[in-house]
Amino acid sequence: MNRKWLLALLSLAALGVILLGITWRAAKPMPHITQPDQCMQCHSDMSDIDHAHPTEIFGCAKCHGGNAFATDKTNAHKGIVRNPSRLEHAVIFCSECHSDIIKRISNSLMQSESGILNVLAYQWGESRELNSTIGIDELKQEFNSSSLAQNHFAKACAACHINQDETVFDNPETTRGGGCSDCHRTSKTKGTQHATYTTRIPSSNCLKCHNRSNRIGLSYQGIFESEGYGTPYKEGNFSNQLADGRSYYALPADIHHAEGGMDCIDCHTEKGVMGDGKKHHHMEEAEDIKCQDCHTPKFAPANSLAVTLTDLNEKMSEPKTIGFTSKMNSPLYHLRPEHNGTTLYRKRDGKALSVTAMSNQPYHSDAIHQRLDCSACHASWAPSCYGCHEVYFENGKQFDWIQKKVTKGEWQEYRSFLRFESPSLGIGYNKKIMPFAPGCQVIGTLFKDKKVEKFHAMAMAGWDPHTTQKKSRTCVECHFNPATLGLGRGNLNIHEGNITFAPFFQSAQSGMPFDYPIDAFVSVEGKQFQSTSRKEARSFNKGELRRIVEAYRCILCHDSYSDPIYRDFNHSKVQFEKEETSCFKN
Amino acid sequence: MLQKLIFPLLLPLILFAKESCIDCHQEQSAKCEKSVHYTLSNAINLTRKTWGITDSNVTLQSIPLPKTKIEKPADLVDDFLRRKCLKCHPFNRSSGERGMKRGIGCLSCHTPHQPEGSCQRSSKITMKKCLSCHNKGFVGGDYQGLFPKDHHRSYRAPLSQDGHFPSQKYGIDHHTLISDIHYQKGLKCVDCHKAEEMRGDAKASCTGCHAAPSPTNHPDYHTKLTCTSCHASWNYTAYELSVFRDDTPDYAKWKDLTLQEDGYLTNFLNKALKAKKPPKPRMPDWIERKQAEGIWYSGYRYKRWEHFVLANYDDGRIGIIRPLFQYRISYRDRNGTMILDDVRTIDGKPIEAWIPHAPHTITKKAKSCESCHANPLIMQPYSGENEVLKLQVPQNMIGASPLSSEQIKRMGSVKYKRVRGKMLLRP
Repeated sequence: MNRKWLLALLSLAALGVILLGITWRAAKPMPHITQPDQCMQCHSDMSDIDHAHPTEIFGCAKCHGGNAFATDKTNAHKGIVRNPSRLEHAVIFCSECHSDIIKRISNSLMQSESGILNVLAYQWGESRELNSTIGIDELKQEFNSSSLAQNHFAKACAACHINQDETVFDNPETTRGGGCSDCHRTSKTKGTQHATYTTRIPSSNCLKCHNRSNRIGLSYQGIFESEGYGTPYKEGNFSNQLADGRSYYALPADIHHAEGGMDCIDCHTEKGVMGDGKKHHHMEEAEDIKCQDCHTPKFAPANSLAVTLTDLNEKMSEPKTIGFTSKMNSPLYHLRPEHNGTTLYRKRDGKALSVTAMSNQPYHSDAIHQRLDCSACHASWAPSCYGCHEVYFENGKQFDWIQKKVTKGEWQEYRSFLRFESPSLGIGYNKKIMPFAPGCQVIGTLFKDKKVEKFHAMAMAGWDPHTTQKKSRTCVECHFNPATLGLGRGNLNIHEGNITFAPFFQSAQSGMPFDYPIDAFVSVEGKQFQSTSRKEARSFNKGELRRIVEAYRCILCHDSYSDPIYRDFNHSKVQFEKEETSCFKN
Repeated sequence: MLQKLIFPLLLPLILFAKESCIDCHQEQSAKCEKSVHYTLSNAINLTRKTWGITDSNVTLQSIPLPKTKIEKPADLVDDFLRRKCLKCHPFNRSSGERGMKRGIGCLSCHTPHQPEGSCQRSSKITMKKCLSCHNKGFVGGDYQGLFPKDHHRSYRAPLSQDGHFPSQKYGIDHHTLISDIHYQKGLKCVDCHKAEEMRGDAKASCTGCHAAPSPTNHPDYHTKLTCTSCHASWNYTAYELSVFRDDTPDYAKWKDLTLQEDGYLTNFLNKALKAKKPPKPRMPDWIERKQAEGIWYSGYRYKRWEHFVLANYDDGRIGIIRPLFQYRISYRDRNGTMILDDVRTIDGKPIEAWIPHAPHTITKKAKSCESCHANPLIMQPYSGENEVLKLQVPQNMIGASPLSSEQIKRMGSVKYKRVRGKMLLRP
């Protein structure tokens, strides 16, 4: 009996030794450098997040917290954070190196969404302050439940901001937020594969948010959110649908995308995107890049930031002479003078693109068009959604993206019609002439308890639609097109010296609570019908409308910009008014 | 066989008209039977030709029964016509839409003598009667300034003062655009379109009333132009119509697209989407007036009211044309097999027909010269590869042919500029 027991014990011991031997052999040899933390005992095979943060050196606890020197899982995992890139964590874990960026992004519009919130409150008559910096964080502290604008913002807009809680989204394809991860993460953690991070931000990350409202990200790729027919039907199903079910169709994409294959970050600098630390009121204040930064570049020796960014980018050679943005003097480390021209290296893959220099042809150099923003002529189309009919059910329920729970009140959105062609022009936030689209034309119906209330807040907004083409719009497209002039669709004419316009759309008869055509920014007499959300922004006034349309009298025959009359157009006009020109000869 | 087919069609007319109307109105009845209101031959043959039956020459009375073996669009066209288009014929009382109820036979247009049986004059034909067929994107709707909205649920706006969806008519909601000047002045359809025209003896024309257009405004170089080329203000244009017959009960995806300008379909989908057990996909054949297998769905690519193009009509005039329609055709059988999957060409040619069109959106003041002479759709038609923009360029016309490059050149010639310049410079 005893012998039997001994034998059993011995064989168990032998098995133990063998097993130990196997595990000993399977274990990694100790690294030459000291392990950064005890976490590596279990997670030694966790992959790197990027080449700047190797796990071998950083370990886990530096970013994720927890108890770095505990030897058991329970103690080790106490207090760890899953996503340290959320801004409230990043300020603790990442500040040692990235304090500057964390401060900047925390103050940025992509975090606060204060631009959207305040324009909304202004448009809806709840605030007279266009330049407020109240944003999501302030609403989290103090939410005014009687404010319709705040309610609408919380339910319809606040889903998109950098620090949104990723876990509240059901659909992985429409998940947003997560702090730094929102933009910088390129893959999610899977097993021992750590999520990967990059400074070569793929545009798809930008598109997670920049696909609605003015739809810049979609338009840039030539995607026009369409009327929702789902046509053509393919294999018995709807085609051309975005991940969230909206329909679209393809229009000519921005030339930078179509021909250059450029990503958002090829124009938009880190400062322009993550902010310069100031709390800005509107996107254009925070924006850094201008068309001329590449197309009439100013080169200078690379600074240290340029070297760092190039190093992080890994796709291009060391910078010597590079471009800088004219507004914030940010290094465009990928824009370099080469081969008697300018070369732009795509940040994502380092591919060299030759940049067309802005010509000094009369159409660019003449005084008469100095007030035009590049987009006025070069933006070929603009998503224009007329009529944003907001319906509010006070007793309904809907997810609140700030409180992260279903709360009272529900919004539904309806619309009148869409257009992409002949974007309207007006005077933009920079006092330059640029495309305008409805932004937003809110016609609200509020179902409150037992009564129905109506309100409307009609506004047009100017912006660069990101549908740039090399070929500009034609002279007639602006000088004799009522839609472009902001009059709306209809018949424009010059009759016995007077400019006349007969609009097509009959608003009152179409049930709108106003008389002017819904697509009219301004009347032919220069009366502005709809507001804007910037102090400087407005429609053309009477004098401007007259000047633009009357110029058509010249354009009819002098339809080329190289025509000598445009060299000094004001002089030509004086001659013309005196009937000294040959126009009157026969 | 043919007689067997025609008989049920004629039955109402025979029963109704023979005993009441024809007794007194023999001549009118005989003529009516040859009119397009009775035969619907224009609409039927246009569509059949577009779908690949090049020698089509049938009428409402002789259109074949739908084929059962489907291999190509031509095999489906009669089914499509019978169930989507031929809702409107003198022997169909209603297809379920508000505003589209009619009498049968003569009473489609005429109101019976009041009191019935007496020999008093029947009341005038109301616009409501005409509009019960001539509605939506077709001439008639435009006369009143109606422009059908897009189909998706999200276009059911603005809500009324008391918070209701706008009222549907003809199976859809409408925007209101500027209406025809004649409508504003109180003219009804029959004030221009007289009985003789209805019976095929004459055609309404502007010059019937507006005898002498003044030569100053109507100079010799515009003699070939139709009046509507200049005087029609807007023009209903629907780019690309995808049609899909589905014999499977696949309804859920249409929940936001129940309004497809088809009252029967709206009612069917509304019921089907609520039903615990989905109903079989069936939709009436409006000629046989009985249910048949499959549901026809449809949707456009986009619609515009500010677009128009000109072409040379076969009768020598120059006027507006528009697509009716640019088709893409799908058919899924009951087993779920896609027999036709988004077919858009026949023998390499798009399944489309641009046809002469006289928008009934007349204004006293003509459009500007630039509406045509600087109209990019006419002067610089899109030449790129974008599928959506290409739709604006006519590929196939019936009853018209494209303007020649010579004509387009003339439209931008020095002579034009001189004439137009004078108008602009010396008012």
